[in-house]
Order: sequence, then structure tokens, then C-alpha cells
Amino acid sequence: MKNELINEQMSNKEIVYTVSNMIIGFGILTLPNTIVKTTVSSDGWISVLLGGGVAILFAWLIGKLGESFPGEHYHTMVTRIVNRQAAHILTLCFTLYFLLFVSYQIRGVSTITRLYLFDNTPEEFIGFIFLLVLAYGVAGPSIALVRLNLLFFPVLVCILLAIVILNIGSFDVHHLLPVLKSDFTGILQASKETILSYLGVEIMLFYNIFVFKKKKATAPIVYGVMISTVLYLLLFIVVIAVFGSVVTEHTLYPIAELAKEVEVPGEVFERFEFFFFVIWLISLFCTNVMALDVAIVGVMSIFPKARRISIITALLPLMYIIGLLPSGLYELHIFADWISYFGIGVAWFIPALLLLMVKLKGGRAHE
Amino acid sequence: MPLTTSKPIYGFEVFLASNGLLLQANVNVWIKKRWLETIKAIDWFGGNALDMKHTVETMDVLSTDLYENLKALNTLLNDPSDLTTKVIAVGGSKYKAAIVSLEGLSDQLLLKEQVINPIQQNTSMSVESLLNPTQALQDIENQMISLQVPARTGQWETIMSFLLSGDAVLLLDGADEALMIKSRDWPSRSIEEPQTEALVRGPRIGFTESIETNISLLRRHIKQPELMIMPHTIGRRSKQTLCIVYIKGIANSSLVNEVERRIKSLNLDYAPESGTIEQWIEDSSLSPFPQILNTERPDKVTAALLQGKVAILLDGTPFVLLLPFTFVSLLHSPEDYYERWVIGSLIRLLRLVAVFATLFLPALYIAILSFHPGMIPFKLVVSIAASREGVPFPAVIEALLMEVTLELLREAGIRLPKPIGQTIGIVGGLVIGEAAVQAGIVSPIMVIIVALTAISSFAIPSFSAGISFRMLRFITMISASFLGLYGIVMLFIMICLHLIRLHSFGVPYLAPIAPSFKGDWKDMFLRVPVTWLTKRPVFMKPGDTHRAKKR
Repeated sequence: MKNELINEQMSNKEIVYTVSNMIIGFGILTLPNTIVKTTVSSDGWISVLLGGGVAILFAWLIGKLGESFPGEHYHTMVTRIVNRQAAHILTLCFTLYFLLFVSYQIRGVSTITRLYLFDNTPEEFIGFIFLLVLAYGVAGPSIALVRLNLLFFPVLVCILLAIVILNIGSFDVHHLLPVLKSDFTGILQASKETILSYLGVEIMLFYNIFVFKKKKATAPIVYGVMISTVLYLLLFIVVIAVFGSVVTEHTLYPIAELAKEVEVPGEVFERFEFFFFVIWLISLFCTNVMALDVAIVGVMSIFPKARRISIITALLPLMYIIGLLPSGLYELHIFADWISYFGIGVAWFIPALLLLMVKLKGGRAHE
Repeated sequence: MPLTTSKPIYGFEVFLASNGLLLQANVNVWIKKRWLETIKAIDWFGGNALDMKHTVETMDVLSTDLYENLKALNTLLNDPSDLTTKVIAVGGSKYKAAIVSLEGLSDQLLLKEQVINPIQQNTSMSVESLLNPTQALQDIENQMISLQVPARTGQWETIMSFLLSGDAVLLLDGADEALMIKSRDWPSRSIEEPQTEALVRGPRIGFTESIETNISLLRRHIKQPELMIMPHTIGRRSKQTLCIVYIKGIANSSLVNEVERRIKSLNLDYAPESGTIEQWIEDSSLSPFPQILNTERPDKVTAALLQGKVAILLDGTPFVLLLPFTFVSLLHSPEDYYERWVIGSLIRLLRLVAVFATLFLPALYIAILSFHPGMIPFKLVVSIAASREGVPFPAVIEALLMEVTLELLREAGIRLPKPIGQTIGIVGGLVIGEAAVQAGIVSPIMVIIVALTAISSFAIPSFSAGISFRMLRFITMISASFLGLYGIVMLFIMICLHLIRLHSFGVPYLAPIAPSFKGDWKDMFLRVPVTWLTKRPVFMKPGDTHRAKKR
């Protein structure tokens, strides 16, 4: 007999939080820095909004695709729309993208953690521990990972807002001026960078298994993207207002520096950035554990007979090694860019095409 | 007991029943013969178990001879020293009756006044009864005994279970049935205030070891036929009563079914305490967190039942199990509802702080000292460094040393008699702490940290939940010593992951938070005014959602 107290559905709130948390991952640290490279003073907000607009468009498309197949994930969707072989190939690409994404982020986490928290501990060890905790996370049921966002995303938003509010004292309006002086190509170039920071919505193509309600999933997904757009915009403006565009351009991780600037009244904590790092680490963990989980679900849909635990043991060392491959920050950034382009192709454009096919085929998808 | 495995005799009897009384008597003679034979067999083999079993199989039902029955009873009970048998003459007839009971378990005075005296002083009996022993037994039950007679049976198995529970058995010569007479008088404790869950404000009543008293305490609070008390017998040898209590219409039926399913699957010799039941039926044995709450307070149980929870009462222990248990209810105490809402809310927040302090305070000390001295103000770093001057150990050894000492003191304090326990508190807390600092083994700051952790861990209302945090504290300390703040964060994530996966009887452990039930947030970390709390917690999917009407 089924216990009706067990709840295996994703609520709208869970979808919003999942999408937002997935988007605000690693990108938030470097976003202002990449934007001001091609724009003047505070004009980058246009790029943030443009990127957000594009992301909302694709989020809407992904939501619509998911709504056409309630309770099914990407592999079954593609099988229904095209055929089984195509489903295998597309799911494999998707999985590959998420695996690369996670390996890059593991490396990024270890690099930045070492930079800000440690003196002697080697990056490899930090990454290894992160990987172990990831393994513990994906060993359990997927719905638990989605619910992890419910715990941590509100805290992340609170800490980010606290950083903004506690920095009000150091605002300088002159940093924001002049307005609208950037050329159009510069803004577009920056938009190209911001779009990459909005990757993450695609997770809902797989977590669609937990969404059974028809015609309901799109709105929360779009809200999720909108929340991250607003947060990005707010943080970008505050960074520029505090540091000015020149300083921002030469700061590697402006948001972390912003957290460092905070002075807590009463001086209980000398450095507020520890709080930021704690919640940022946790938020990154949520992002990665979901991505890895989706990758495993992808592998399992291609090889239905494989056991979850053996897939985990096979994939984790591989990702660890891939993460260690880039030497230095520069190569890591190139690596990240390539993964993001790959991700946009695999996870945004192909689903959009699939939706087009569904619409052309008409009602056949529902058979 | 292999008593039930004697099918042939049943068959025989059914067959004989149609052939009249004469044959019945013959069969009784035949059973007696077999009985005597087996008695001899026992003598020959020196009480061989196999023969014993054989005897029991033969002796399934009562015979009509009183002395045979008494002898058989003695054998079945293996000649107990506390068995009291009183053979009396039934007044106004030639019948002889025997009152059998176990001495310490039944009220002998009551039996004498209400059973023995009336039977002996009886003057007349109807002619019909004088001829028919079964009718006489009926008369004794109806006219002479003034105590409750819960059963009348000829089955030895039933008779024995009543006898061993403390009831008296009346055997009548010539009748093949016996009367069970309710005369239980178990040694019990009076109702006292629970020691482990004392409140400043609230009823001063606690459960006792007797399940009847405990049920009556609950019935006093909820005067409704919907209060369901489902009895079960637990323990192959102990035959204890266990009751699943819930309110029909409020408790979710699938929760009740699940509890019943798990209780029915139990097959053990003896349940010494409800803790044994708890460990048998909990969802995850490997989890450090308790998934079932135990309490000694009837008011707490009543409140929980009215929220839609299920209680399990076990005979022989004052600790009642309450389920499902969630992480949030770990911070709750009945007092939160008795005091005004601001006080209740603030105390809950304080307990939340206590949970975090218990878990992370020593770990943070280690992490800050070993890895991130920049995290706290410079002056504080200097003063800590100055106080640690001369301490030969790294922070982690210092912390582990003091925390283990604290646990030792706590454990010793519980075991010792009360007056000495206080002495140990003084010796341990003051003398050892002071001396350790003087000797330069630990720093004064460390002593402060340890003291704070100890106080915090005792501020958590549920004792068993407090223990789980104290256990985890050692793991956080070790991970902090390896990886500083990063280690603490990683462990925190793992704890959260574990909590999210954990279920208590199908209810998610972090229930109103993840999955999120916004309506229940009113009674989570804050306790809003009672006039707003008009709905029962939704996460347990109660049948009746409203507990009060809005004004």
C-alpha cells in the first residue's frame, strides 16, 4: 500500500528555487568583471537585461516542451518526438555537457576556496573532498536534491541582499555615470557573456519527471530566471557603484571583494566574506549535485540496466581528472566558455527545435 | 507454547459431543489415563522436555475433577512458589471450589471479601444447580461473586494467560469450565511530575508504568469516542500490552496503517522499554537523529494526538512514543503554547541557536584558530593567542580533550546518587576546569567554549535529540581540524542532505521547510498567537484540518 504522506512531486516553489539556484552558480563571482570589459561605466545593465531576456525566452520554450510531456524526462521526450536513436544521442550530449560542467566547477570551487580560505591546503585535496560529498549527494533520491534548494536558496538571497545593504555606505553615484555611452557592439559582446551566466534552466528538462501538473510548469521556470536576472542586475549595479568600472575590470572576483568591503556594525566579524563563502559554497554544491544527478539520470536512461552506484563510481574519477586538466585560471576560463557554448547548443537550441517539431506534428505528442 | 497443536482431541470431542454425556465421561477417563501415563514418563526420563510437551498437548482442556485440574495447573505452571490455592466449600451444596491466583499479582484481600466469603456464606442453591455443575458455576458467577468476570473458559491456555496477568481463577468440582475473576493488583508507582521533562508552567502529571493509568490519563483529556486505543500483544514470552492511540478522523489513515503494519511485524521475546519498540520500527537505524519522540507528559501526548500524530503506549514504561517526528518539533516544548506567544517564539529561536552552537561552536573555534584567524577581530585573535600561550597541544586536541571530559562528567553525574552528583558537578566543572587552565593544558577560552556547548546541548527539549547533536559535534570538530571552515561547510551539507532524505513513517523529516508547507510555518521556529493557529499541521495530512474557529 502506498503511503500517501510521501510527497514525490515538485511544487512551484521548488521549481522557482531550483532554476534560480542553478543559474546563480559560479557565474555570479565573475559576471561584473566580464561585462565591464566591453562596456562603459554602468551601461552593462543593458547586457544583463538582454541576457536575461534571451534566457527567459528559452526558459519559456523549455517549460512549454516540458508541459507537453508531463512526468517524463528528456530521453522519453525525444523518443516520442523523434526516435530512440536520436534520444540516445541527444541525452548523451546533454549528459556530457553536465559532466563537463561539474568537472569545471569542481576545479573552480577548489581554486577559489584555496584563494580565499586556505594557505597551504592543495587544490586537489579540496576538490577531492567536494567530489566525495557530491557522491554522497547523488547516491540518494533526486527529489531530495531538489529540496535542498528550499533550505539554502533563501539564505543565499538573504546574504546577497545583506552584502548590498551593508555596502550602502560606500556607494558613490559618480561611479555609475556617465550613462548610455557604450557602443552597441560592446553591449552585444557583453550580452554574449551574460547569456552564458544564465545557463541552468535546462535542468528542468530532466526534473520534469517530478512535474505532473499540466500547463503549470512554465510560469515558475520563467519566474526562476527572472529572480536571477534581478539579482544579477542588483549586484552588478552595486559593484559598479562601490568600485567603479575601472577597478571592477581589474578585479577577478568583484562580488567576493564586495563581500570583503562589508563592515559589520560592532565589528563582531572582521571579514564578512566568510559568510558569503559559506553560502556560496553551499549554493554551488546544490548546483553541482543537481547537474551530476541529471547526468546520472541521463546515463541511466541510455543504459537502463546499469546500477546507479556503479555509474557514480565510474563517472567521478573521470570528472576529477577532467577538472584537473586545465592548467591555470586562463585555461580554466577558456574551458568554461567552451562548455557554455556547448551547453547553449545542446540544452537550449535543440530543445527549442524539438518544441518546434512537437508543434508541427500537432497533437501526436500526447498519444 | 505448543498448547494449540492438539487438533486430534478437538476432533474427538466434536465427534463425541453427538454421542451424549456418557461417552464424554469415558473420554475424560481416557484423558486422565494418558495424563497419568505421561506423569510417569516424566519421572522416568527426569523431566525430559519432549515428554513435557507431550503432556501439555494432552492437557488442552479442563477435566471435571477438581484435584486433577489443580494438579494439572501446577504442572503447567511448573510448580510456582507464589501460586495460592484455596479450596472452599460452596455454601448450600456439596460442591467444592478452588480459587487459584498468583500471590503478588492479585489482591488477596479483595478476593477474600468479594469472592471467598460470599461463596462460603451462601445458604441455598436451586435444585437444578445442585444436579448440574455447569449451572452451579453460572449461579456462582451471577449471584455470589461481586467482582468482574471477564471470561469463562475451559481452555488451559486462556486460563494461564489470565492467571499470569494477575487474575484469579475459580475452578468448580464437576464443571469443565473455569471463571476468570478480575483481581489484578500490580505493584505500581503513584502519579508524579516527570523528572526529565519538568516545566515551569504546565500540568504536574506524568505517565506511570501502568498502561491502564496512562490510558486513563489520556481519556481524561480527550473525552470522545473517536480516541482510538488499539491493543496489541507484544513479546512472545512477556505478553505485554501495547496500545496504538490516535484520534479517528484526525490522524491520517495511511499513517495509522503504516504504524500498525510495523507493530504487527514485531516478533520478539520481550520489550523492556518503549525504546526497544522505537528501534524496531524506526525508518533508519543508521541515522544519528531520533525519528520517534518519547515523552512522559500526558499533555504533550494529547496535543500531539490532536495534531494528527499517533502515540504508542507500552505496559511497563512511562515513556510514550509519539510519531511522526520532525526536525522542527525537536525545538518544541509544551511550554511554548502555555506562555504568551512572544515568549514562546523567542525561546524557540534560542533553542535554534542552541542547536547550532552545540553542533558548530567547538568546530568553529578549531577552524578559526588553525585556519582563519582573520575571521574574527584582530584584538580577539591577540587575546586568544595570548591565553593559549603555553598550551602544548593544537586546538583540535585541546577541544577534544575538554569535550570528552565534559561527556564523562555528564555520564558520571547521571549514574551517581543525587547528592554526590552535585558534588561531581562542582568538582568537574569548577575544579577540573580551573585546574586544567592553571596547569596549562587548555586555554580559558576553550573552557568557555566547552561550557557554552554543554549548556546549549541541554537547552534542546528532547534529550535523545540533544544526544544526536552532541555526537555530531565530534565529527564537525574533526572535519574542522582537517579543512577548517570548508570542512565544516561540507559536513553541514552532508547533514542537511541526510535530513532531507530522512523520513519518519512517510513524513519528510524536515517537513514544513522541505517540502515546504507554508501554512505550518506559523508554528515552526516562531509560534504566532494562538488565535492565528486555527489549522492543524498540514504536512501530516490530517482528516479534519480545523482545530479552532476564527473569531
